This record gives sequence, structure tokens and C-alpha cells, in this order.
Amino acid sequence: MKKIKKYFKRHPSYWWKIPGIILLLVIAGCSITIDSIDQPASVNGGDILPVTLHVTINTNDVRTAKFMVAVLVPKVWKVAQNGVITFTSDLTSGDQPMTVIPAGTSAPNGNGLDWPTYLTQKIGNGGNLLNEYEWVAFYSNSAYSVVGNKTYTVTVSIRMKTSVDNLQFKLGYCVANSSDGLSDPQYYSSFFPGCFRVNGEGDLIDFCNPQLAVVDPRTSLDNDIVTVSFDGGVAPTALDNASEVYLCVKGYLTSGDSLTVCSQTADTKMEPLGLNRWRKDIWPRGLFHLNEEQHLVRLAYYFTDATGTIKVGYGGGADPFPYTFKCQ
Amino acid sequence: MKKIFHLQCLLLMTLLFACKPERLAVPSEPIKDIKGSWQVIKATRNGTDLTARFDFSKFRIHFSDSTYTIDSLLPFIVSKNGKWAFDDPQYPFYLSFTIPDSTAHSPLLYPVTGGRRNIIITFSPGCTANSYQYTLQKVN
Repeated sequence: MKKIKKYFKRHPSYWWKIPGIILLLVIAGCSITIDSIDQPASVNGGDILPVTLHVTINTNDVRTAKFMVAVLVPKVWKVAQNGVITFTSDLTSGDQPMTVIPAGTSAPNGNGLDWPTYLTQKIGNGGNLLNEYEWVAFYSNSAYSVVGNKTYTVTVSIRMKTSVDNLQFKLGYCVANSSDGLSDPQYYSSFFPGCFRVNGEGDLIDFCNPQLAVVDPRTSLDNDIVTVSFDGGVAPTALDNASEVYLCVKGYLTSGDSLTVCSQTADTKMEPLGLNRWRKDIWPRGLFHLNEEQHLVRLAYYFTDATGTIKVGYGGGADPFPYTFKCQ
Repeated sequence: MKKIFHLQCLLLMTLLFACKPERLAVPSEPIKDIKGSWQVIKATRNGTDLTARFDFSKFRIHFSDSTYTIDSLLPFIVSKNGKWAFDDPQYPFYLSFTIPDSTAHSPLLYPVTGGRRNIIITFSPGCTANSYQYTLQKVN
């Protein structure tokens, strides 16, 4: 003690820092973490995906708030309608139900943003390369009071019905509370367990790996504006040195007939985005000059150079990229 | 003296009848007028701005009293000429387009931007999951 007194006599300016250090320790003492996740590596399309989150909460303060759990999922799963989340903890007894936070509900300390938007801004998209993903946030039906300086363990049970689609997706999870939101990393925790596989029907929708060609929106009809993108940076192709890239597309009609647009014109010229990436927005009904009775079922497309002699198809090969018009 | 008396009476009469209660006309909201030709000045698909990426320049919609015609059709709420109507001509929240087979309704915003009236309509010409928002401005 004498030594401490002597120290502060020698360094009087350090006295003011003590309350600050104590305050910092108290604030930093509050934390929530996802310790581990039980999640299968894959399920079959249409099956229920069961996930368990093991969460630890350390408190430093008396607080009453709702528990928040959010999942990053493919939009096509419609988790807001098909997901069920409950939890157990050493603070509660029995399964505690949770409910989807209504659209438009502002997140606490979120500058007016709703939970899905705030989660996307703050936590991100988990590295999913197609933008057909969404954060779906749930609040516990009740608010819970915690006391200071205590550790609580929470086990979250998530059951989500998958769609029949054949896809790979990087699922994400986030836990927080209705009082602090995502205002500071100590108040929330997120976890991305990696690429998850659904063995479903149809062409593989791969959110995990870069694709040579992508069509956005992933689901559309021929009266939508669709964006066809070519990313030559994903793998070497015959168009690596092309100064111009064009779309060459065949449309299959409901009647069984097909139409082809494969001339190198302004209608098919792709916009360069740099780094060998190209993009073209098309309105299929306009591109194929369809009349009222004609409707497209699917497209088969290539990318060509300005002469049309170099053609790049699926996987960089000779087969065309497929795209089927459908809605979710 | 008599003249002064008459003058006083005249003045009194003037004072009495000069003042009458002011009747304030209740201001009424004008009926929104969209007659004329409109062009797309901004277009988004699912929140992504497509204005500079896709050629909307030739599209025109011409509104008359109750009918409309479209030039250079693009993905739009309707694909044929027909009739239009507001849900409320003074305080419109929806704009409806009626073609022989059906009626399509769009939520309507009617803001003034840069001193010019805009119409903002929202619709899904293909999959309902794909939402488009066009901002229309009157062609000079």
C-alpha cells in the first residue's frame, strides 16, 4: 500500500485514470457470445433444418429486455413464415417462444433502420455471392430481467423448413437484445458456420462460390428486366482478352418454338465493369420482340467476342448457360 | 348647420356599413391533374437503380381526362392502353389502370422535386417478388 501511495505521489496525474479504468472494466464486462452451433452439413430439399445455438451471456447490470435471434437465410425459404425459434436458459423454465419482428420495426440504436437492414449493414451477408438472401429477426415473446455480474447459458433451438431448391448457402446467426441492439460488439454475437448444402431439385443455386455467369433476379418472368452478368475473373476463358463482350441468347417459347438473338449489336453489347466483368440488362419480351401471345419458358445463352466467333458457355465450355423463367 | 348634420349622418352610415364580418373561404385541396405526357426519370428494381443502365428514354405515357396511351412499351404496370383513375382525386394514394381484362393498382406518391411535379408508382410486371418503382415526370 505504501508503495502504491508512493507511486501516485510520484505520478499524481494518474489518479484521474482509476475511475475511468474501473468504468471500462464494468462496461466491458457485459457480453453475449455464440459459443458453438449444432447444424447438419446438408439436408434434402423441403426438409426441416434443425439448428441449435449455445449462447453465453455475462451481465454487469440490471436490465430488462427481449432476447433477439436472427438468421441469415435464402429468401426462397420464407423463414418469416416457415421458421420456428425457441430457447431455454437457466433464467427461465421450459421452452420460451419467439416471434418474427414485424417489418418496419426499428432496431434499438439503429438510426431508424429496421432489424433486417441494420443486420445487413452491421453484420453483413456472410459472403453470399447472390443477393437473394435476407436476415429474419425474432424477438422473445417476453422481456426478461437480468441481474448484474452473472453468467447465463442459453440454448436456442431453430427449425427452418427449407425449399425444394437445389442450393448452397452460407447461413448466418446473430443474437442480441432489444435494449442495446447492435450498438456495440459486446452486445451482440454472430456466427457463420460455412457453406451449407440443400440437395434439392433443379440447377444448383450456388451462393457460396463465384460463378462465371449470374442472372439477377434469380427468379423472374419474361416481362421483368433481368441483369445478365459475366465474371471472367472467376476462371480463365476464351474471352480473357476480349475488348468487347456480347450476349448470344436463345429463348424457348411456351409453344415449343425458339427464337435466337445472337448478332453483335448495341442490344446485346455488355457493359464493361472492369476486371473482366461485364453486365447487360435485358427485357426479354423486348429483346425477342414477342407479341402478346408469345411467352418465354427459358433461355440458353453464351457470351461472345465482337466477331461472334469466340463463344463462352457454361463452365467456360461449349454448352450454353441455362436460365428458367419462374417465380417463387 | 343642416349641411353639417347631413354630413355627420353620412359619415355615421358609412362607418356602420363599412364593416361587415369577413367570410373566409375554406381552402379546398385542388384535384390532382396529371393530364399530359410523362417520361421515366428514375427506375429501380428491388431497390437497385436501373436508370442509367437500361434505356427508358423512349417510354412515354400520355394521360388524358380518363384514358391513357403508352408509347414504346417497357416493363410497366400494364401493357395495353386503357383507362386510369385515382382512388381520390384530391388526396390520391393509388393510381389504377384499367384495361379490358383487368385493373391494376399502384401505390402513388406525388412529390414536387426541384420545382417539378413527379409521380412515383410501384408495381411488379413479372414475378410479384420483383418490385419496380418508376418516377415519372411531365415532358416539357
